Amino acid sequence: MVNPTKNRIFGKDAVWLLFIAVVAVLPLVPGFADNSFRMHVFILILLYASMAQAWNILGGYCGQVSFGHSVFFGIGAYGAAMALVTYGTAPWPGILIGMAAAGLVAVVISYPCFKLSGHYFAIATFAIVEIFFRMFQVWDWIGGAIGLDYPVIEEGLWNLVWYSKTGYYYFALILFVIVFGVVRWLEGHRFGYYMKAVREGQETAESLGVNSAMVKLTAMAISAVLTALCGVFFVQYNLRVDPSMVISLDMAMKFVLITILGGAGTLLGPLAGAAVLIPLQEYTRAFWGGLGGGIDLIIFGLIIILMVIKQPAGIVGIFQGIRQRIAKARGKGGAEIGTP
Amino acid sequence: MNRKSLRLLGCVAVAAVLCLLLAAGPAAAQQKVIKIGTIFPLTGPVANAGQRCQAAVQTAVEIVNGQHPGVKVPLAKKGGLLGGYKIQLVHADSQGKPDIGKAEAERLLNQEGVWALIGSYNSSVSGPASLVAERAKKIFMCGASSSSALTKRNLNYFFRLAPTDATESAEFVEVLKWLNQKQNANIRTIGIIYENTLFGKGAAGEAKKAATAAGFSVVVDVPYTPGATNLNSEVQTLKTKNPDALFGAVLGADYALMVKTMKQANWVPRMSINYCSGYQDPIIAKQLGKDADLFMGSNAYTPQFATLLPAVAAVEKIFKTKTKGVPFDGDSIQEAVAVIVLAQAIEKAGSLDPEKVVKVLHESTFDSPLSLGGKVQFAKGGQNIKAFSIVTQLQNGEYKRLYPAELADSKAKVVFPMKPWNKR
Amino acid sequence: MGAFGSPIHCSQRLLFVHSMETVLQVLIDGILSGLLYALVAAGLCLIWGVMDVINFAHGEFLMVAMYVSYWLGFLAGVDPLVSVLAAGAFVFLLGVLTYQLIVKYTVGKPPLAALLATFGLAMLIKNFCLNRFSPNFRILSDTWLGDKTYHLGELIIPIPQLVTGIIALLVIGLVYALINSTRFGWAVQATAMDKEAAELMGINTERIYLLIFGIGGACVGIAGGIMPTYLAVHPEVGSLFGLIAFICVAMGGFGSIPGALFAGLLVGVVESFAGFYIAPVFKYVAVFGLYLAVVAFRRKGLFGW
Repeated sequence: MVNPTKNRIFGKDAVWLLFIAVVAVLPLVPGFADNSFRMHVFILILLYASMAQAWNILGGYCGQVSFGHSVFFGIGAYGAAMALVTYGTAPWPGILIGMAAAGLVAVVISYPCFKLSGHYFAIATFAIVEIFFRMFQVWDWIGGAIGLDYPVIEEGLWNLVWYSKTGYYYFALILFVIVFGVVRWLEGHRFGYYMKAVREGQETAESLGVNSAMVKLTAMAISAVLTALCGVFFVQYNLRVDPSMVISLDMAMKFVLITILGGAGTLLGPLAGAAVLIPLQEYTRAFWGGLGGGIDLIIFGLIIILMVIKQPAGIVGIFQGIRQRIAKARGKGGAEIGTP
Repeated sequence: MNRKSLRLLGCVAVAAVLCLLLAAGPAAAQQKVIKIGTIFPLTGPVANAGQRCQAAVQTAVEIVNGQHPGVKVPLAKKGGLLGGYKIQLVHADSQGKPDIGKAEAERLLNQEGVWALIGSYNSSVSGPASLVAERAKKIFMCGASSSSALTKRNLNYFFRLAPTDATESAEFVEVLKWLNQKQNANIRTIGIIYENTLFGKGAAGEAKKAATAAGFSVVVDVPYTPGATNLNSEVQTLKTKNPDALFGAVLGADYALMVKTMKQANWVPRMSINYCSGYQDPIIAKQLGKDADLFMGSNAYTPQFATLLPAVAAVEKIFKTKTKGVPFDGDSIQEAVAVIVLAQAIEKAGSLDPEKVVKVLHESTFDSPLSLGGKVQFAKGGQNIKAFSIVTQLQNGEYKRLYPAELADSKAKVVFPMKPWNKR
Repeated sequence: MGAFGSPIHCSQRLLFVHSMETVLQVLIDGILSGLLYALVAAGLCLIWGVMDVINFAHGEFLMVAMYVSYWLGFLAGVDPLVSVLAAGAFVFLLGVLTYQLIVKYTVGKPPLAALLATFGLAMLIKNFCLNRFSPNFRILSDTWLGDKTYHLGELIIPIPQLVTGIIALLVIGLVYALINSTRFGWAVQATAMDKEAAELMGINTERIYLLIFGIGGACVGIAGGIMPTYLAVHPEVGSLFGLIAFICVAMGGFGSIPGALFAGLLVGVVESFAGFYIAPVFKYVAVFGLYLAVVAFRRKGLFGW
């Protein structure tokens, strides 16, 4: 039981390391980094893949569907922005405080919410987003509805701001490696199995001695802290934050949408979802957005519908389908490939 | 079924990859074309204003590019700039979101290779988008964003045409003093209702500053959620506190809802004065009919200013073909002015070197028959110091000019206090 | 007011009368908007309770109904009170189509599939309306009920909202009766409880789902049909209503129509009081907070089990 798993994981890791290496050297390829919009799309793919992966810890592996992650995203973003704009320091202390605050808020609000089941939990997270959004809008200390605008500052690691895309590209890649690394580590760790056990059935998990409340809270905290880190990137990239940019239901839906369409509860899913949805969103807007009739959004909506009803298991499901068929063709049978 | 869905998803994936690979590179520079990018909220909650702004830019470009002997606007007769250059527009949609506006600004500058940007209506979008232009050393012309913070950043390539909320607040307080003096109005207390966004909160902040400095007391301050399902508690709060004058920064449909709710609650303040917002939206008077009457507000333009701005009529005719008959309002006309001023600066600089054009923009005074006062001049930081608006009152569906006195309609008289609903 | 007594006494009395009446006025406003919320929520509640499907495009259904009613009024001069029926019928069809073309394929799939698909649908409908009807807001003027009010002493009762409330009660009552005391309703309940078992009993569950989606649509269609009397129509108008409907349904307990009615009323009243006595900007905060407070004590909502 242990050995084949280990083997498979090593194989998987090799693919991931190769992927990261390829992404890392891409900007060095002549002509690649010249096209700043393409760089922008790649950066967004890495960002949204990380966001979705952070959500995936709780939503995919642990089975608790949260529509509230934009709150943690916002807290992270505000942490960095407050440090830089309000206090005029480097964003670093704000990042740490923001991540800690996100973790804390996550634990405090989810402790009562986790007692709720299914839809009641989902709606509760909706409600929390709306409450935080409106409170942030009237909270003058953090800029309220006016938001925080970055001044013109020097580029570099100290300020975490770059004038070119390449700096952000590597920042996003590091973010991606951190978030995926954590999830990859969790997958092989005992805690990962606990989470899956809770997803498959809380009562069964409890009967096996898993403290399901503790597992869910820990998963939520890890997920929130990583989400806050993604929020830091978002604000450093856009150089502005206001409540409607980060703590909105739209943003919350993106976490869910990308993960589910990619394939929830799989390591590859969030990346697959982001790699398909983000270019679609950005390029439909680039091609049709200027026409003014919302045509890009009509098409985007249509594509979401089609993807969901044609392939509800997500993009990863397609890969698995293909693998299964290849396996069948070879006469091995597809038994070893479980569904996510 | 399964195979079909596989194929479909395959198509989607392939399309996505193709998009990535075929990402539009900088288009080969065509002969004698000046590309200008526009960024407006074409979808989302303020799409109606954004689409009108886009149409205004298109109108102005049409005038600059073609030969329009009947239009009394600089550069209208000549056809093109710098001896044959034509402006070509590239449009983008910000959805009213700062992050998207910023991404579109980058795409327009780097991929589409635009020479300058015009936008973005929402102050929250104009901020980050103009920073992108500043870094790229490209000009950003801003028509209608009203946040006064935008021109306090000391950017070199940023120019804003519209009066700021600070200018308007100061003007409103002057109007109150004027009413107190001329009409013996005895206005002492002020209430403010505003949408809880950058626009509303910025305006309310400036209003409070200006009013308190002039000795008025702000007794009630009501922010509301844009797109609210009702404004009952908002209006009820105002009614209970009953301020003498009500300042409003309320946009579009919310403005209509506010007026209707006031009518239902059977309450009007003694006077109500509104920022460049729902009040001056040209469809308000049409949609609300008599209910919209007797409210006051600031206008940079309405069709009833025809005698002041005789040049607009010919331009507006072209504009209306693009908006199904909706005329200019104070916001959209500023975007048209932005194009024409920029064109004048290019022509005067005699070159397409942004540095030279920026120098001209900073140092010259421009003729602008589309703006009140007829001149445009930029201060350091890019604010148009000639910008102001006229305070009007809606009477029988027409905007009557009241203040400042030298531009007032000689036949118009202010109705003060506002008539209660049952006596209309 | 009495002209006797000292001025101080008089003003105190005024204040008291004023505040009593204000409380009542705030209560009336709250109840009337609550009934509207309840009607919007009832449709969602039905779909959710029977099919366990979250229709994210519910607010957009409302918006479409408002457009139907607006265009009938604007082009043909039909009053919203009449076009309510047309709007209800139109959104019934929209619901049926949504089920046939989209939701049908998500039944039995992962629970979030339907939610995401209808999220895409919401995006599609909203921007389609923006594309076709322009983003301009539109108001129907000169309707039968428009702006009419009934004065009860110092209290003001807006007639359009009152009529909406009465219609809401009627429709909710009808739906409740339909579910609880007709053969169709029993079939619906059987399907909601156990789909397979219901099929074994010879119930065509597919058709039940189809009709439920249609009826749910019709409820919100009727709400949207009358709303142009007092609310401007534009492509973004449905969003917040949709959200509040979610809260009402969950607060009432999934699938419980009396629950949705009660929760809608509660939401309206709390919104109104919080908006007036705390601050207008907190009125929706109070509504969402109320939901959290309710489920903290009753995990399955007020009427759920």
